[in-house]
Amino acid sequence: MDVQRYISSGILESYVFGLLPESEQGDVETAVMQYPQVKAAVQSLQLDKEKFVQLYACPPPAEIKDRLLDILRREGTQEGNALLPQELRVPDPVSNKRIRETPVKQLNGQKKPSTDRIWKYVAAAFIILLLGSVFMNFFLASRSTDYKSRYKSLIAAREKLEADKEAQSLTSAGAEQKEADMLKDPAFKQIKIEGAGEQLGHVVTVCWNPISHALFLMAQVMPVPPAGKTYQLWAIHNKKLLDAGVFEGGAQMTQKIQEMKPMEDAEGFAITLENKGGSNSPTMNQVIMAASISR
Amino acid sequence: MDFSATYTEAELVQGLRARDQKIFSYLYDHYSPALYGVIVKVLNNDSTGGDVLQDVYLKIWRYADRYDETKGRLFTWMLNIARNTAIDILRSKSHKLEQKIQNITDDVNAGSGPLTVYQSTDYLGFSKILEKLTKEQRTLIDLAYYKGCTQEEISRVLDIPLGTVKTRMRNAIIQLRNILNK
Repeated sequence: MDVQRYISSGILESYVFGLLPESEQGDVETAVMQYPQVKAAVQSLQLDKEKFVQLYACPPPAEIKDRLLDILRREGTQEGNALLPQELRVPDPVSNKRIRETPVKQLNGQKKPSTDRIWKYVAAAFIILLLGSVFMNFFLASRSTDYKSRYKSLIAAREKLEADKEAQSLTSAGAEQKEADMLKDPAFKQIKIEGAGEQLGHVVTVCWNPISHALFLMAQVMPVPPAGKTYQLWAIHNKKLLDAGVFEGGAQMTQKIQEMKPMEDAEGFAITLENKGGSNSPTMNQVIMAASISR
Repeated sequence: MDFSATYTEAELVQGLRARDQKIFSYLYDHYSPALYGVIVKVLNNDSTGGDVLQDVYLKIWRYADRYDETKGRLFTWMLNIARNTAIDILRSKSHKLEQKIQNITDDVNAGSGPLTVYQSTDYLGFSKILEKLTKEQRTLIDLAYYKGCTQEEISRVLDIPLGTVKTRMRNAIIQLRNILNK
């Protein structure tokens, strides 16, 4: 066998990541035993898979460990056995035997009773059965309607969830695409606008594409503006401020990407505090933060 | 994470086979987040994840004798049990293939897209790694490892010839390994 070729065929990757049908897994395991190189390749793949899986690690609910240790403690006992999943349970010979013995004893105990008494017992048994059946009928009927309504409400809840999910994916798909484009396109410039003085510590990042003219903004550290006011972004071009649209601040917006008006040219960006709804021309004494684009 | 601090691999295996509850407890503390992560991912955050994890650890406890050192590390074996148990459940719930795919594409769109600034910090490192894989590579790995799809199923679903699935899968994993070992 050409070991190198075997290793580079992709079969080992498929094996380690569980893609091979069982029939072919045996072949790989044989090759692992025979060729140290194959073994080494599989081991390093397994280590990488372990690393990969660790990326998804998340802490399980805390009570599971106690439950497990409790089951282990009672493992030898009958009720401990019952706690195990079906396939792990030890078959229980004791209870089976008991079931088989009981009817035999009863038959022996009822030797030759008078016919009168038999009929009395039979009648009593039938009456009890009848009463039981009437009771069960009522019980089951009420239970079944209960199930029906619960089933209906479950279906309704599910439909609502599905509708919600659909609505959400519709609204978020467009925005996500823009975000994805923004990340992929190297033409995008990131301009970090940091506040000073009264605005110290406030940060807004503007992403602008001089080629496509697309403009986005993330208000990473910006307080909610005072009541009746809003933030407005301006592009600085030829010493003039061009309206780039209003944006929101506050904790909920810190990681949201806000789409602004497209901008053809800019040497920098400024932020003003305007009356709600924004303004057509900037209120110059309200310029709170600004930054120029480094070229 | 450093697993070698207290016990060696051989001590862990021996202890588990000798039904040492201290070792079991250690294995739980160190590996349960990873195993739980696999279960949650396979079952799409199903609420039964905790119960499944419990069953997985009971299997590890009961089946310790079946562990074969020649086939890989103990953790790899435990991972296989977790993955297989979760995938069996996924299948027994009569999830159709289409449904599996739906969930995958949902995942790609919702959780691990290229820009996942709104994800919790636990996953930040993870999403960064995934950014370096193409969407198709991510889907391939997810379908194969977390949904237990066969090559034929993947070929049908992604509409790629069967022969190509193997090569692309290999490329995806090579890319993943490059990133992981940087």
